[in-house]
Amino acid sequence: MRLRRSSSLFITLFLCVGAVISFFPIYLAIINSVKTQGEMFTSFMAFPTKLHFENYSQAFDKINLLNSTLNSVIVSLIGIGGIVFCAALAGYKLSRTGGKLSGLIFFLFIASMLVPFHSIMIPLTRMAKNLHVSGSTYGLAIIYIGLGVNMAIFLYHGFVKSIPRELEEAARIDGCGEFQTFFRIIFPLLLPITVTIAILDFLWIWNDFLLPLLMLTDSTKYTLILSTNTLFGEYNKEWSLILAALVLTALPVILIYSFFQKFIMQGIAEGAIKG
Amino acid sequence: MPVTSYKKYISLLAFVAPAFIFYTLFLLIPTIGGMFYSFTDWNGLNKDYSFIALGNFIEALREDTDFVNSLLFTLKYVLFMVVLQNVFALVLAVFIESKVRTKGFFRTIFFMPNMISTIISAFMWTFVFSQVLPQIAEKTAFTFLDQLWIGDPQVSFYSIIIVSLWNGVGYMMIIYLAALQGVPQSLKEAAVIDGATPFQSFRSVTMPMITHAITICFFLTLNGAFKVFEVVYGLTGGGPGRSTQVITMNIYEEAFSNNFRYGYASAKSVILFVIILIFTFIQISVMKRKEVEA
Repeated sequence: MRLRRSSSLFITLFLCVGAVISFFPIYLAIINSVKTQGEMFTSFMAFPTKLHFENYSQAFDKINLLNSTLNSVIVSLIGIGGIVFCAALAGYKLSRTGGKLSGLIFFLFIASMLVPFHSIMIPLTRMAKNLHVSGSTYGLAIIYIGLGVNMAIFLYHGFVKSIPRELEEAARIDGCGEFQTFFRIIFPLLLPITVTIAILDFLWIWNDFLLPLLMLTDSTKYTLILSTNTLFGEYNKEWSLILAALVLTALPVILIYSFFQKFIMQGIAEGAIKG
Repeated sequence: MPVTSYKKYISLLAFVAPAFIFYTLFLLIPTIGGMFYSFTDWNGLNKDYSFIALGNFIEALREDTDFVNSLLFTLKYVLFMVVLQNVFALVLAVFIESKVRTKGFFRTIFFMPNMISTIISAFMWTFVFSQVLPQIAEKTAFTFLDQLWIGDPQVSFYSIIIVSLWNGVGYMMIIYLAALQGVPQSLKEAAVIDGATPFQSFRSVTMPMITHAITICFFLTLNGAFKVFEVVYGLTGGGPGRSTQVITMNIYEEAFSNNFRYGYASAKSVILFVIILIFTFIQISVMKRKEVEA
């Protein structure tokens, strides 16, 4: 009993120290983002005496917050929508169709999941230039569809097996065409895995840095992450400004996280188990 | 009969076409293109290039000390990350799982850093390393905190590890937690009744039940670690000098900022691909064998 109590105490202590480390940088960023540069350098740890929100208004302008958030939203929505639409169709049909051709196509999709992004980034930038999709928000979104469908197809392919074929046969007898059957009967049943895919892709696309860096040149097209990156390069000594920008950038995801926490964790666990 | 199979192909193609078009343009062709360019001396601008067979690969591995150093640095990083990330994630998951009342709180806190983009995490930590820690050292007795965290090649490796762990452990922890929740409570209770210590019950009951998750987490951490870019880019930029340059950064520089040697950079990225394939193959086959044993 003594041993159990002391080991439980150790576990609690370990978790608390871990929690402090986990939250420490975020906490520091927040409290120092409302201090003046001078107040900051007297003590980074101290609580602010007066709230200086001018850092925020300055950062708001410098990272062009509304515009770059809008860009991130557009890229994420189109990217996720496109991935879900294309992959649900393909994953469903590949799962239902036997034969060599569908096996080969499925293999192509799956095998490409092992290709690291860095191995294709050079020819990909060429391809984007040739197709005139580089430098545009929509073009960026379309590229995400190409990079994301393989994993989504894999998840849909596995999930479809759990849906009884009888449902489609019944719909067919009732006079539904193939696409009608898919959109009316099958797609709604795919909702759980669609949520998982949407979450995983949102985290990936919203937080991605390298692809926007390669594709976008015009700062009005920048995503939120990319805008903040440029700011960090330009003003790397003005910490109060930088920190305000970092908080502004991290805030949307953390807000979304606190609303959809349960789904996000479930989505990650499911994605990993199925993947 | 031929009519139905013809129809079957048409409908297959109709369903697969949208995905396949995007996939072909932005993944399949670039993959094949990258492999093709890796055998050429293409500079990315000219129309002309010539085939130089394995020339790029030989140059990268034999003469390019920067590349070989970045490769070795990445391997060291991979080793540290695969071990530490899995150990921390598993320990956290087991500890959290044992706390009934505060489970949700700790899970939320430990996962939160993962929500923040890697590059933003790196900037936050740049502030902590360059400003906060030296000041704490100055004001307290913790003088060891006064390091050149991102300016000293010896130390900055560990700084990179710290930020990577901070950012990434939560994700693996969630996967381990999900696996732990799948272990039947009755089995653990049976082990306790049979007189097993918590450690024994973990080793003989829990571990075999979560080997699947261990395989997956090792796969994810291994793959992720080889592809590390943002943390290093945001924290040290590969410096001081090239002391913390990782392989992806070396490729990026070769292609986009230094030399515009597309063919040569492509060869380097093929090398990265092959290395990841080999390591993944070994890891999966070793661990799958373990899974069967359990």
